[in-house]
Amino acid sequence: MQTATRPALTAKSYPVDDFAAAQEFFHSNGWTDGLPVVPPTEDAIAACLDWAMMPPDQLIGIEPVRAQPITAEKLAINAVMAGCLPMHFPIVAAAWQGMLKDEFLLHGISSSTGGCAVLVVINGPIRLEIGAASTFNALGNSDRATSVIGRAIRLSLINLMDVRPGGIDRSTLGHPGKFSYCLAEDEEDMTWEPLSVFRGVPNDGTSAVTVMAALAPRQIMNEWTTDPKEILETFAAEMRANQRHYSIYGGNYAIIIPKQLREHIQNAGWSKRDIAEFLYERARIKRKEWADVGKAAIVRDRPEKVHPALESPDHLLVIAAGGPAGGFGAVIPPWMGSKTKAVTVPLGVCVDCEPG
Amino acid sequence: MTLHVFDPTHEGKTAGFALAPRLDTLRGKTVGIITNGKEGTKGFFTHLDRMLRDDLGAAEVVWRQKKNYSAPAEQEIIAETRQWHAAVTGIGD
Repeated sequence: MQTATRPALTAKSYPVDDFAAAQEFFHSNGWTDGLPVVPPTEDAIAACLDWAMMPPDQLIGIEPVRAQPITAEKLAINAVMAGCLPMHFPIVAAAWQGMLKDEFLLHGISSSTGGCAVLVVINGPIRLEIGAASTFNALGNSDRATSVIGRAIRLSLINLMDVRPGGIDRSTLGHPGKFSYCLAEDEEDMTWEPLSVFRGVPNDGTSAVTVMAALAPRQIMNEWTTDPKEILETFAAEMRANQRHYSIYGGNYAIIIPKQLREHIQNAGWSKRDIAEFLYERARIKRKEWADVGKAAIVRDRPEKVHPALESPDHLLVIAAGGPAGGFGAVIPPWMGSKTKAVTVPLGVCVDCEPG
Repeated sequence: MTLHVFDPTHEGKTAGFALAPRLDTLRGKTVGIITNGKEGTKGFFTHLDRMLRDDLGAAEVVWRQKKNYSAPAEQEIIAETRQWHAAVTGIGD
């Protein structure tokens, strides 16, 4: 219920008979991802806003291409629908701050036939506060927090940017990450600096969110060596495969390194910077390799031109996550080269400031 | 028990881009084509160009290509559109 101190919500409200009626109402209006939603009631929405200390009309940002304002109230409605608890909402808001930066190219990535999703990576103490898990099934349904935060991103894209399949969303295939694509880094079980620190956030316990326009994960396996170079050669080969089979152009790649492989690399004294520099050198192909995979038509007159998967080592997102056993890893390619850039946003630094 | 649920959409509160006034005819007009440069657009726009000139009587068809096919057209292209009577954009893959 609205209190004397709580600003009124301005969104239109509708009476529905019960929970089941609410489901049919939301589905029939095209306001869902096809799964049931939590009915966004005033109390639930207000609780999210209260937790984040945001008035309903606070401007999270303006989408630069369509000049679409995104307000805290509308974002909170979608977060509630996704199943978010109030403590999850600041992460959803910070992710949107990042997504609204020009370099993220939100309109392009969400309307493209390429069919990417927004990958959200959480760093810092807030992971523990919200119960985000970083180990078993890290890229799947690992825990409540990452599941609902990732889903909130998709529902808000659908409802606030009209990113519906066949509408603004022109994806040919899409991928399962378009339901939810969020993970937290396993900071308690690594010697490396967190992804957020690698990307410039102060190493002082500041929590942060990184967003990246990302394709589906490509899983690798190498259980037969402890040599960091050999392990990373497998990651490099997968990145090269993506260059051949999908897009040759360099951009942000994320790699997920679970504990088993991570320990071999860490024990050898390799840092995230070392990994990035190694993969920058090894993950690259010549344009003529396109001819090997049926794309000879676009090799044109530049067969010897070398295309690195990363424009620089800084463009690699090395993420420690995954269950404790198994010599697996994953490469998450960018949507399309460097047309979009990953963005990292610190949490709780200044709610009115431009994202970092 | 009745629930009061809130609208999750932008409720039409958008920047309010408006369509340009419709032309009665393209005869004698200058029509711009802003292409994203994708491979599949070449044949499509070439055919459209011919239709605009031969079937609809356009005086001139101007082609401009965006540098980034996923981003808005550059400001110089937007500025040039003011010299056109109509523009074809936003399609092609």
